[in-house]
Amino acid sequence: MLLSLFVFVGPPAIAFPQEKITKEELLVLPGEVGRPGGRLVVSLRGEPKTLNPLIAADARSREVIGVMQADLVHINRARQQTEPALAKSWKISPDGLSYTIVLRQGLKFSDGQPLDADDVLFTFRVYLDENVHAPQRDLLIVSGKPITVRKADAHTVVFQLAKTYGVGERLFDGLAILPRHLLEKPYQEGKLGQSGSLATAADQWAGLGPFRLKEYVAGQRLVLERNPYYWKSDAQGNRLPYVDELVFLFVPNADAQVLKFQSGETDMISQLGAENFSVLSRQQRGYTMTDAGPGLEYNFLFFNLNDAGEKTSPEMQRKQKWFREVKFRQAVSAAVDREAIVRLVYQGRGAALWGLVAPGNRRWGNEKLPHPAWSFERARALLKEAGFSWSNGPNGESTLLDSDGKPVEFSILTSSSNADRAKMAALIQDDLKQLGMRVQVVPLESRSLLDRVTQSRDYDACIMGIASYDADPNSDISVWLSSGGLHLWNPSQAHPATPWEAEIDRLIEEQMSARTFEQRKKLYDRAQEILAENQPMIFLASPNILAGAKNSIGNFRPAVLEPYVLWNVEQLYLKNGTENATR
Amino acid sequence: MRYLVRRLGHAFFLLAGASVLAFLFTALAPGTYFDEMRLNPQIAPETVAALRAQYGVDKPLPLRYASWLNSVLHGDMGFSFAYNGPVAPLLVVRARNTLLLTITSTLFAWAIALPLGVWSAERLGRLSDRLLSWGTAVLLVIPDLALALGLLIVAVRSGWFPTGGMASVDFETLSPANKLRDLALHMILPVTALVLSTLPLLVRHVRASVADVLDAPFLLAALGHGIPKRTLLYRYALPAAANPLISLFGFSIGVLLSGSLLIEVVMSWPGLGPLLLEAILARDLYVVIGGMLFSTFFLVGGNLFADMLLYWADPRIRAESNAR
Amino acid sequence: MRVRRVLTRWLVTLGVLHGIVGFAGFFAPYDPVEQDRKSPYLPPMRFHLIDGQGHFHARPFVYALKLREGSFDRYVENTTEPQPVRFFMKGARYRLLGFLPCRRHLFGLENTRIYLLGTDAYGRDQLSRLLFGGQVSLLAGLLGAGITLSIGLCIGAVAGSFGGWRDSLLMRLAELFMALPWLYVLFAIRAFLPLAVSPLRAFFLIITVIGIVGWARPARLVRGVVLSAKERDFVRAARGFGATHGYLFRRHILPETSSVLLTQAAILIPQYVLAEMTLSFLGLGVPEPVPSWGNLLSSLQQYSVLVSYWWIYLPALAMVPFFLGYLGLASSLQERGAAYKIESRIWGI
Repeated sequence: MLLSLFVFVGPPAIAFPQEKITKEELLVLPGEVGRPGGRLVVSLRGEPKTLNPLIAADARSREVIGVMQADLVHINRARQQTEPALAKSWKISPDGLSYTIVLRQGLKFSDGQPLDADDVLFTFRVYLDENVHAPQRDLLIVSGKPITVRKADAHTVVFQLAKTYGVGERLFDGLAILPRHLLEKPYQEGKLGQSGSLATAADQWAGLGPFRLKEYVAGQRLVLERNPYYWKSDAQGNRLPYVDELVFLFVPNADAQVLKFQSGETDMISQLGAENFSVLSRQQRGYTMTDAGPGLEYNFLFFNLNDAGEKTSPEMQRKQKWFREVKFRQAVSAAVDREAIVRLVYQGRGAALWGLVAPGNRRWGNEKLPHPAWSFERARALLKEAGFSWSNGPNGESTLLDSDGKPVEFSILTSSSNADRAKMAALIQDDLKQLGMRVQVVPLESRSLLDRVTQSRDYDACIMGIASYDADPNSDISVWLSSGGLHLWNPSQAHPATPWEAEIDRLIEEQMSARTFEQRKKLYDRAQEILAENQPMIFLASPNILAGAKNSIGNFRPAVLEPYVLWNVEQLYLKNGTENATR
Repeated sequence: MRYLVRRLGHAFFLLAGASVLAFLFTALAPGTYFDEMRLNPQIAPETVAALRAQYGVDKPLPLRYASWLNSVLHGDMGFSFAYNGPVAPLLVVRARNTLLLTITSTLFAWAIALPLGVWSAERLGRLSDRLLSWGTAVLLVIPDLALALGLLIVAVRSGWFPTGGMASVDFETLSPANKLRDLALHMILPVTALVLSTLPLLVRHVRASVADVLDAPFLLAALGHGIPKRTLLYRYALPAAANPLISLFGFSIGVLLSGSLLIEVVMSWPGLGPLLLEAILARDLYVVIGGMLFSTFFLVGGNLFADMLLYWADPRIRAESNAR
Repeated sequence: MRVRRVLTRWLVTLGVLHGIVGFAGFFAPYDPVEQDRKSPYLPPMRFHLIDGQGHFHARPFVYALKLREGSFDRYVENTTEPQPVRFFMKGARYRLLGFLPCRRHLFGLENTRIYLLGTDAYGRDQLSRLLFGGQVSLLAGLLGAGITLSIGLCIGAVAGSFGGWRDSLLMRLAELFMALPWLYVLFAIRAFLPLAVSPLRAFFLIITVIGIVGWARPARLVRGVVLSAKERDFVRAARGFGATHGYLFRRHILPETSSVLLTQAAILIPQYVLAEMTLSFLGLGVPEPVPSWGNLLSSLQQYSVLVSYWWIYLPALAMVPFFLGYLGLASSLQERGAAYKIESRIWGI
């Protein structure tokens, strides 16, 4: 059920009485062969907080950790399929409850220490330890029970699940294997949280990724150097990565990234907005911009459907009466000019959305989902059916009134740091004005915003965007499940509040344990249909993945899954020699 | 001596009051750092809640203030949630960058303002003075927002200046001479913006104070004694006019940390301004409080310094305070 | 007197400028919130007198602009159809000075829309937004200054009149407020005000916040005036005649403060307009879609806008004439104040 490619490379095993050198089993990557040497400079939008996967909660730290660590099974970002990584091969038992993973032999960490099954055991023990509070813990709990790990021999590990898990081996993607020889002592002393800070000495930290720590200059840059023990090679047997150094420059925001790329200070750029992309595309001097096509991000408008019982203020109760009416939500959805959003916010580099699964997800989208056109007439008809009416004001504008004669007014929250969503909010505000609704747009910092939506639940409506980190539906499970923390319109429910939410819960749970792709797709399609019928989230648009790189960078193949340009960093190389061409 | 003690006590009271106010503001604002984790579909709410409890975000207000005050007195200004470390080193690095910018521009501004102001006061009412007045008026009425943005546009269009940041990629590898040159290049735009925004007011005040003094009889007498014009202006008139200027200088010192916020944000200079803006947005409580206090410290310190300088420079004040 | 003439000149200039902004509905061709989604980031239209065929038109005209094929922000002029500018034409409804319904605008086009200062990201006319935005920003400055001066007057008067512990306490408080970096305080306060409020309420909240932060300096100045006025002979005399505190205050002391207050007003108003602009620029001020001068500039924070659409910068210069006017006003008020002092010295009052 898998392809195992391994080639024996390196000096033949000579057994000395003291050390036993096992042959290294490298992973050979197909594709273009590059030339070694040189330095790659990329910009990071902010500073990472730590190098330790156990405490990294922010996106920047994860970006950096991604090139310094490695996982057992990896999802190839271009093909969106799994492939062996540190695991040479794996076998899933017929009942789907146990995964036997065989490690590659002879591998070493970036400090030269050998890797074996004990490291894997230690890693998962730490991930699952409740006192460590690792963010990875939640990924390893299937049907309420944590995965168990046991060692079969020095290079084989067996994972046991409580219930079959449709995701399968995708589970292991991103779970870095930690060095036991460095972290066991801090773990026992309870000081794991302090390991791997950016100030750590380069020789005190190790990983299995293509790069290892070289130097950190606070507020300016993080310099990584090539891991000489990296376990991948190219088709000609050269050990990867090609470049000698990878430098992360800390820039404060997206525009600074653009400036640095334009001036030649950085070699690649990703996570570009459409406007910056067109500015860079105007004069492509020495670099090429690429539109990788639709990504996995979905932006949506949702209403506050929480049920706070007696604690709800009368004003909120009145508003929720409108929000709970499905025709109201359908009317709002009909009034939104998605085409204008794609044109004015994404400059055409995006797609209108009517469902959660963005066009970048080729396997899982439900093609039969209806895409109703933008129509104020249909919106007004729906509102009339729901008991709303209009009154004419003194200036000729009409106001929408509910069945009690009160005007329909509410506010939409949006993140103040995201210019795209702020624009969407302004467009929607104008659209809803045509229906007679008076909408205020309230920009709020993203932390405060999240607090309002998930904790205090004190808001009317909100526009948010989520980028799935994997094409598999399970990556969005906390959005689908009514008990999920990202089930934004009514998060963390004890019991499903509506029959359709209960139905979605059932479908999603079932597809989680289904064994075949066809079974899962059928269930997932149905869940998407129910979502479309009830419109708790009014989907808006999804941007394309835009990136660019200097022409001197070889093997540059941006993907639509994160990390967009660094996913194949070990294969990137500099075409014209070792000097990094600037300006 | 008593004067000194009184002013010090006064300054201390201001700092204490400012710290309470600052702490109250930020503590009452909703939203904390851990909400970033929430947007990651992989992390469940329970983990986040556990971390919140661990960092003591849910304890009552007076306790939090007390523990923060305690750490401040030990030299540690609190704990940054976002950076997972103490606040003080963060502030020190950023404050250093800001001071680099503001000290340079303050020096330039005063170095230009003093001679210009004196020159203008000397030629009061004549064409050259009126032209200068109009020039400073024009600069005064252009908001520093427009100045900063305008300079940025010039930089971007011409490509002569680096647009943002403090150092190039290769900074560490450059020779010391080139390092200095690189730094200077990056500083030109923000320093120009700062100087242009503070210069007009300085020039006007210098001109006004010196002009006031030039009427005084003792100067006429000195002129009658044959003392040359230049000496007259700089060794007699300027010191006499120094009183309001010293207060102004104290104010210049006071805003060393806080006056450049907008320009730093617009020009992406990695100083205290952008850090505080980011911290306010991220609800990183202790960084915000620490930053506010740092700036207040400078403001109070600047005024204190001005008072000291005034006491030393102006015999009238010495006499007055000794008489009390 | 020469000073009075200069003063009048500045007052008239300011009056005209404020008048244009006050009657924004007439001077602006369109509603500031009306979107034109087919014309985002349209560059300013140019007036022509000679058309493509070389004919001279007595009435100036413009060409309609259309998006170039395949582009999202590049436009071409449609030179086949000159659009003559019409004056005093009927257009969108508005309320003059907030209550008189009107439909006449200074200028406009018959068939299409005229964009003299270009459009923004949603196709909204920048000229209209500039004029209406001026209403918001200037009002913020005027009201804010009003609040600050009222508070400053009260506190300064109390401190000056009563003296003693009240005076010390209030002056200590004033120094505390002056010691805080005002921009940070503004941020912090703004950040935890209720956020889901209507634009009108948000506006008044901002003004109140700006107004409250700056009471310290006017209060000290007022206190100084009150203290010196208290000791004046005519006040002492009036007290000797049995005048109450209230009477003294109203008839003798208060008028003395007027010159200080007026000068402070001329200084504070532009500062407060700038404060509102800074807040709005950073996204903490007046919410969408209400325009304000700061709002109009906030999109310049994006590099792509800064580098591609130069006309978005123009509102930054819009307030220059206003500030110039206020600066002139402040200078001449100060001169007048100094002149009065001389006069009163001469007359021995």
